[in-house]
Amino acid sequence: MTSNLWFLKGIKKGVITEKFPAEPPLEPPIRPSVMQGNEHVECPVDAITPEGKWEAGKCIFCRRCEPKFRPTGNQDLSHVIGELPGAIRRSFYIYPLDSGSCGACNMEFLSIFNPQYDANRLKIFMTNSPRHADALLVMGVKTDGMEQVLREALEAMPGPKVVIAMGACAISGGIIGSAPISKENVTVEVAGCPPSPYSIISAIMKMRGD
Amino acid sequence: MRWYRTGNGEGRLIGRTSSYRVYPSVIAPLSSETSETDRKLGPSEMRLNYGPSTGGLVESVNFSIDSPGELITGIKVNYGFKSRKLKLTGKRSDDALLIVERINGFHSASNSIAYILAVEDALGIDVPEPVLMRRIIQIEIERIRSNLTVMERLCSAAGFGVPHNQLAALREKVSRIIGKTTGHRYMFGTGMIGGIEAQFSGVAEELEPLISEFRDINESLLQSKIFINRLQGNGKVSGMNLVGPAARASGLMHDARYDSKSLPYSRLNFQPIVRHEGDAFGRFMIRAEEIFSSVGLIERAEELSGGNDGIGPVSPEIRDGTGAARVESPQGDLFVFVEIENYLLRRVEIMSPGESNIEAFRRSSVGTIFTDFPFNWESFGIWISEVGVELE
Repeated sequence: MTSNLWFLKGIKKGVITEKFPAEPPLEPPIRPSVMQGNEHVECPVDAITPEGKWEAGKCIFCRRCEPKFRPTGNQDLSHVIGELPGAIRRSFYIYPLDSGSCGACNMEFLSIFNPQYDANRLKIFMTNSPRHADALLVMGVKTDGMEQVLREALEAMPGPKVVIAMGACAISGGIIGSAPISKENVTVEVAGCPPSPYSIISAIMKMRGD
Repeated sequence: MRWYRTGNGEGRLIGRTSSYRVYPSVIAPLSSETSETDRKLGPSEMRLNYGPSTGGLVESVNFSIDSPGELITGIKVNYGFKSRKLKLTGKRSDDALLIVERINGFHSASNSIAYILAVEDALGIDVPEPVLMRRIIQIEIERIRSNLTVMERLCSAAGFGVPHNQLAALREKVSRIIGKTTGHRYMFGTGMIGGIEAQFSGVAEELEPLISEFRDINESLLQSKIFINRLQGNGKVSGMNLVGPAARASGLMHDARYDSKSLPYSRLNFQPIVRHEGDAFGRFMIRAEEIFSSVGLIERAEELSGGNDGIGPVSPEIRDGTGAARVESPQGDLFVFVEIENYLLRRVEIMSPGESNIEAFRRSSVGTIFTDFPFNWESFGIWISEVGVELE
């Protein structure tokens, strides 16, 4: 088998990349997605306030609040909490850092480069060094062993230092522990346990002002 | 404990928890632990560090590699960097399940089902066969996705862009099927003590076109001399204490689906696939062949999983007990032991297959060269999240 034949095999499959985000997601997962409801329910991670308000960043989508709260399928689970630098509209290089994850966030992040999503077409790339990174994407809870590694990666990054906190663990500690990075250092939060590739892409697009 | 008793070890030594040696149907108290000593560098050797955070690795892990230049003469896998401390004792068993699901998110079904079965064993809960069959479907579909990922990573290491992307696309399709049938792409929130919240009718039919696509990719890969050369003879390992695909690629019939009674695989006429290469190629072949075998198991389990819709959690009448269960995760034997007192967890011990696989990887790496490293590492399909975890 030569590489030419692999090329033909690739062509034969046709284009399977979705039009997202220009068009709505083709197959959005029901969980995680924006939850709808407005009454107080006991929540193992206190993602529902006594007033019945749902806090996306804490939610692990364990279904215990259902059916009083219902998943809507809406994948827009991110919000900008820090200052956005102006010059990030071109190719965008991300350095992922696993502080202490279960592995699900790692796989969902890698999935944005799957043919169905093909984040490269949206000028989103992964880099192997924090020195070349436009953004640091942090996954997982705070752990003793990774604390210094995270600090060094942040120091090694060129400015402006954009930080994406991905998933309940990185935002609030989820049900596992505490967040690995303080909110003042975070630019964008993407909620979910783990956030879907749609949510991750939409967070990056939002951050770039697309 | 229905399927386990404490006593002297019998049969193959599967692994260790913090207090026990685990055998097929016996757990033997652990007397002493031997600690690994650092290898001394030989003349003209140097020690190189790779990781814990760098490109090319899915999770945070550090490799300390000894080499005089090209040859790997010693390797140590430091998996403690991302070690999480998980508090399970003192919690209600269903509350602890939310944490157990996240010990290894990518193999969440195997971890949570082993734990659920151990709790049900401790509390004397009998679940109907359709629930057990649905649990088998969960584990087998997780195995399909995991095996696809190992093969995808091997193609990526070889720079084979087309099959790498085609396998990634298949993985995504399987994730979507899982999301549709269980309500979550990683099956979080699907399992419960005494029940399950997932409907799998028609899942085998949905998997069929994917498997046919996979067959094409696999056949093409097996015709590629360049690809096969990277795997053959690389990371050869033998010895009785291997688990999972690494064991079955080395001629050992080690498979919890075959010698554990925690799940009724015997009703599905399961037979392990065994090969004799012992190297990365053997492990690759086992992964590929087990994708086909898992679809067959799903098909048969689906026929026995009907009825009993809306099976929910049960309120156990027994408040105290000890229970144990062992299932075959995509990495190998996964054993859980629980002790429950007044509905609360008093002790939880988990034997993950990752530790055994890391030791096998370490042994197999000695004598290989640097360019062999990514193929050998990926061929074991090790998840650090479940190894680097401390249960409290």
